[in-house]
Amino acid sequence: MMARFPSLGALTRLLIVFAAFCAIHDAKAASGDFPRDKGLPVLVNVGVAFIEILGFDENAGTFEATVDLRVGWTDSRLARADVPANTPPETLRDVAAETRMKSIWLPPVVLSNQIGEASASAYGLRIFSDGRVELLRRVTARFTTDVDVGRFPFDHQKLNVAPALRGLTVAQAALRFDQSDIDFSRPARDAQLTGWSVGLVDLQSSTIPGWYNSSEDRVIATLSLERQPGLVVASIFIPLFASLLIPLLAIWLNFMKDGVFQVETHEMVNIIIGGLFTVIALNFTVYSTYVVLSVGDNTVNRLFALNYVTLAMALTVNILFARFNLIARIFQPYVQEQVYYLIMWAVPVAALSIAISLMLTAYV
Amino acid sequence: MVGGLETMKFRRDATVSLAIAIIIVVAGAAVLSSRLFSGMTDDVEKNQFKLMQAIVETAFTDAENKALARADLIVDLPNVQRLFASRDRAGLLAELGGAYANQKARYGIDQAQFHVPPATSFLRLHDPAIFGDDLTVFRPMVVAVNRLREPAKGITIARNGPAIFGVTPVFDAGGKHLGSFEVGIDFGPLLASLKTAYALDLALFIDEQGLQDFANGIDPAVLSEENRVGRYICFKSTNAALTGDLVAPSDLAVVNEPVNYVREAQGLVRGVTLLPLNNSAGTPVGVIAVTSDFSGSRAAVNRSHVWQTLITLLSITILIGIVIVVIRGFLIRPLQVLGNRFERLNSDEALEPIEGAERFPQELQVFVRLYEKVRARRGGGSLPS
Repeated sequence: MMARFPSLGALTRLLIVFAAFCAIHDAKAASGDFPRDKGLPVLVNVGVAFIEILGFDENAGTFEATVDLRVGWTDSRLARADVPANTPPETLRDVAAETRMKSIWLPPVVLSNQIGEASASAYGLRIFSDGRVELLRRVTARFTTDVDVGRFPFDHQKLNVAPALRGLTVAQAALRFDQSDIDFSRPARDAQLTGWSVGLVDLQSSTIPGWYNSSEDRVIATLSLERQPGLVVASIFIPLFASLLIPLLAIWLNFMKDGVFQVETHEMVNIIIGGLFTVIALNFTVYSTYVVLSVGDNTVNRLFALNYVTLAMALTVNILFARFNLIARIFQPYVQEQVYYLIMWAVPVAALSIAISLMLTAYV
Repeated sequence: MVGGLETMKFRRDATVSLAIAIIIVVAGAAVLSSRLFSGMTDDVEKNQFKLMQAIVETAFTDAENKALARADLIVDLPNVQRLFASRDRAGLLAELGGAYANQKARYGIDQAQFHVPPATSFLRLHDPAIFGDDLTVFRPMVVAVNRLREPAKGITIARNGPAIFGVTPVFDAGGKHLGSFEVGIDFGPLLASLKTAYALDLALFIDEQGLQDFANGIDPAVLSEENRVGRYICFKSTNAALTGDLVAPSDLAVVNEPVNYVREAQGLVRGVTLLPLNNSAGTPVGVIAVTSDFSGSRAAVNRSHVWQTLITLLSITILIGIVIVVIRGFLIRPLQVLGNRFERLNSDEALEPIEGAERFPQELQVFVRLYEKVRARRGGGSLPS
């Protein structure tokens, strides 16, 4: 009987399994056990500096940035008693750092709100003679962030980068920040983003629910941004205010003489229908550019609502007054005349007052 | 003109008078309501300030108690008493050095020191190389503990910087007084924990002169120009840039009691409370600044002012509109029409019927009937029935 050799496919599968085993083994060897000699939880310091903000997509709730993540901890197994206390730390960069990182324990700090793979990543490692370790990671990646446009266009947004300890509960390892981390966490001096003013970085601690009622620690580094409203006001709010004038004109252009309207109703209705299409077109344009504005309560939605309400009011006024002479029939022509004069100036005053109030409530 | 005076024009003057009355009443009510609402918001902010103050004071008191509890625990250890009684500095360091390092790394214990009476440093666990210096001048709490042989706690600027201390006397097993031991808690982790728990930002300002006179062991970089705010040094801060925007040297100039103010920084309105820090002898050593985001309450107040103004304006518009419609539509305009018609009676013009006169107010119907009677006599129409 001939010996049966494994097929090529079986060999390939065997190789994949072997490679996976080696990878797992290497990873376990690299990570090792976390330092317990000073008790638990292991304290891990974090700080985040925003080096460059490459983009901010409000509609998707994401931003792309280059950040420096600084992680510090103490592993007494790396302490060197044979060197003087003030000896400079062992400093490694890039490949050398990554090679050294494979042989020491690293806290499993991940950027919990990072989307996909980092487009660039580089490491710096410093190991002090007393066992303190400082890992610096420069990473360029996309991150998720919450966007609140309730006060648009006078809104502030927060760009969050959230380092978290994955796989270790708060009882095993804890993230914290001290004065040094606070001082480290700041935007670069020349960091800027078109259309926004870059503010400060703030650090906050929080936890993420883990398995079996446990929690994992997280620190959220928040960079504040303030929108520069100039361009947005020109592109969105001027058309919104201009379209508001259409129904007001449809009321104001008609006039009465001896209780009789002087302009035909259909002419006014034509203006109103034209205004309706204008607002719909503007609505479509704004929402296709600023998708985030289409959801929830914000100034733009309120102004669109005001536009529609004013159009409906103009249509109602023209139909009831000019077409059916409703008030004249119920009371007398002179009452309708006075009511219409009132509407001619009161509706524009009310509509413009409401529009300005909506802008002011967003501003204050 | 009558007697040199212009005849009152009811159409205009009555409307204007009523409009002015409406504006005064509605605007007055709005202002009153606005003031009441502002008062309520002020109360909310006052409570927020009180809460901020209470949080910090409670946290500091807790920290003092923790420091004292740790100190009490240490001095009750027989080995510690024995080593201290024999003035075995190396033995004490060997006994407590490891525990101190762990406490420092994990629980914010910044300083731990044995003193011999009246107040001479015997062993600093945080700085074992420095000892034997006299602390009498700047550590009145240590002097008091050794004199009264009672524990004490409070904030003090020590050689290694300011901290929250608990100092307790040390006795041997026979009750003989040996000296004192203190534990000092670092402000940094304490402020960070308050920030995490309550979303407050805090900054600790310490009198620069005090630091220069007593805190010889601190990092000289702390005393740099960057940290200087008037006569104080910003020693710790949970958000240094924000603190820089909110606390100016003039704010810190006189803080003998809690000072509250509201200021805008980075586009947000923040409430700031400045609390004086005194040492155990009551001497001011610094100021702690606590700040919280007040933009929510301030924005609510401002929004309410905007809405109140709008509602006032709309109310005035609607009420004046009603007045105009009622006075002019129901009364003045029919009167004007009747007046014009009666004026034509003096001329030879043909008298026309009044359109819609049947719906004029009942009080005017007598004039309508009179006009129609005259018009009928002139052959312009039939006599009213």
